[in-house]
Amino acid sequence: MRQIFYLALQTLKRKRFRVWVMIGSIFLACATLFVAVALSKGISHTLQTALERLGADLVAVPAEARDEAEAALIAGSPTIFYMPAALEDRVRAAPGVERTCAQIFLRSLSAPCCDSEVSLVGFDPQRDFTIAPWVLQKLGAPLRNNQIIVGAKVISAVVGTPAKAIGQRLVFMGKPFTVGTILEPTGLGADYTVFLTMDTAYQMTNDSPLYPLPVKRDQISAIFIKLEKGAEQAAAALAIEQSIPEVKVFTANQLISSYSRQLHSLVNVLLAAGGVFCALALSLAGSLFFLSVRQRMREIGLLMAMGARKNFIFRLVLLEAVCISGAGGLLGVLLGFVAVRLGRDRMAELIGSLYMWPDPPYFFKAAGLILLAALITGGLGGLYPAWRISQTEPYEAIRRGE
Amino acid sequence: MIRIEALSKRYKDATVLDGLDWRVENGGFAVITGRSGGGKTTLLSAMGGLTRPDEGRAFIDGLDIWKLSEPELASLRNRKLGFIFQFPSLMPSLNMLDNILLPIAFSGRSPNLEDRKFALSLLDMVGVGGKEELYPFQLSGGQQRRAAIARAMINSPPVLLADEPTGDLDEKTESEIMRLFQDINRQGTTIVMATHALDYVDLGKAYTLKGGRLIPYEGAEVAPAGAASRGQ
Repeated sequence: MRQIFYLALQTLKRKRFRVWVMIGSIFLACATLFVAVALSKGISHTLQTALERLGADLVAVPAEARDEAEAALIAGSPTIFYMPAALEDRVRAAPGVERTCAQIFLRSLSAPCCDSEVSLVGFDPQRDFTIAPWVLQKLGAPLRNNQIIVGAKVISAVVGTPAKAIGQRLVFMGKPFTVGTILEPTGLGADYTVFLTMDTAYQMTNDSPLYPLPVKRDQISAIFIKLEKGAEQAAAALAIEQSIPEVKVFTANQLISSYSRQLHSLVNVLLAAGGVFCALALSLAGSLFFLSVRQRMREIGLLMAMGARKNFIFRLVLLEAVCISGAGGLLGVLLGFVAVRLGRDRMAELIGSLYMWPDPPYFFKAAGLILLAALITGGLGGLYPAWRISQTEPYEAIRRGE
Repeated sequence: MIRIEALSKRYKDATVLDGLDWRVENGGFAVITGRSGGGKTTLLSAMGGLTRPDEGRAFIDGLDIWKLSEPELASLRNRKLGFIFQFPSLMPSLNMLDNILLPIAFSGRSPNLEDRKFALSLLDMVGVGGKEELYPFQLSGGQQRRAAIARAMINSPPVLLADEPTGDLDEKTESEIMRLFQDINRQGTTIVMATHALDYVDLGKAYTLKGGRLIPYEGAEVAPAGAASRGQ
């Protein structure tokens, strides 16, 4: 076995340019595939996380503010929109609705904590079922009026690690707050949001001379809706919209669908590129390999004349193909990994706050599978030339090689 | 002993071997001449297990080689036959020493220290000692041909089949290599050599391959001096 490896490697070393062209084509295909697969998995991961973390089946917002509401809920865009708080009672009375809770969205002006504006969201610690359960779990008590909960990405640039941030004092609209806890990354707008109690939110807008438009206590921004078990999201949303035309109701899936479409279109482009590269790599590497074997017919005939069995020739040629594809696959996966590492922050900036990368174990799994695919592809590509040459008579191989 | 019986081989309409019966005793030296494309290479290949004849049989040490299985035939080529071809036949990717040791790898074992010593002694014997680390492209045509002879002998085969071994070499090198064959033959190795070099027909028992038949060599009219046979 050592001999066959040695012979294969020596042969490959001799045809360096051709071998590097073959390795390069496979490398390109594997790198593209790796990035596309990582992105694709990231999307699934993001959407799954987003759905889990949203904590509600439906979200009702003012009908005239559907776009701003979507941006605020998904990307944490600092925006304001309000509707009468009384609508919550009407929504709660709609068929299929188990319970509701309201939140109020405030826009922060330039806060000293943060590089850019953040969303301030008030919630009712007693009734909220989207944020409050986490807060209770983390703090061991409901949020107090002088405390805030900050999203995972709000203050990391200023304060550093989440552990350092807890207990620090931050000032919003002239009012000091203590950071109660940091939310786990959600992939949603919550990552860029500061949460405070609803009472505090109302009070701030009325007390602070910095806030442009006071919010009355009978105003809310969004109603989060938990449906009864078995209730169908789309049907319930439609029923609410029909009975309460003042609201627009998003299902959880709808909320993330536009981002999903955006992300999937990017992945589709990458997958298509990966597919094209794969096809090109296969045809280029396959043709070059076939050509290479044909040009070495005399050598192979000589090996047979020296006593090499068909089986040896078959394995030798196959091994060369697998070495080439393995090297290309390995380099491709490594480059893909480096590209993903370098580009992960840029990717979030490019696509929006929603995007979350898959966990490291997934990368290793993907790398292993792509490498395996490259090896199998190389093996399959080498199979025919290997079989063909191994079935040739030594004399015929020598003669054709001339 | 090498023996062929009723050996025939045709390519399309041309019959290059036509029911040949022939034998070479152990330790013999047979020289086959004939015009270019006359079937000398085909004859050597058919008796050496490189190309299957259309009809007839070939025996090496009493074994009907074309009745052997593929692995058995490969093993016979490895152990009992040494081939020297009319073209540079060293593996370009291997250095001289690795080239010489290559047939050992096909005998199912890895070369050991003794094999290396033997390979070096063969390189000395053929006159290219001290060049074992060089690659074929670093050697002259004559040196490559000598190294190929050393490689053919690494497994100490009882039979050497040499097909135009000096085809493209200058006269001096040709003469040296022919002397080398003579020395090898004197040590007991059976040699069958196809050559256009009529100056060397007296090295052994000479034959002419003509019209698919082997006839005792009678004169120089069959092959113009200097014409290199490409084989068929």
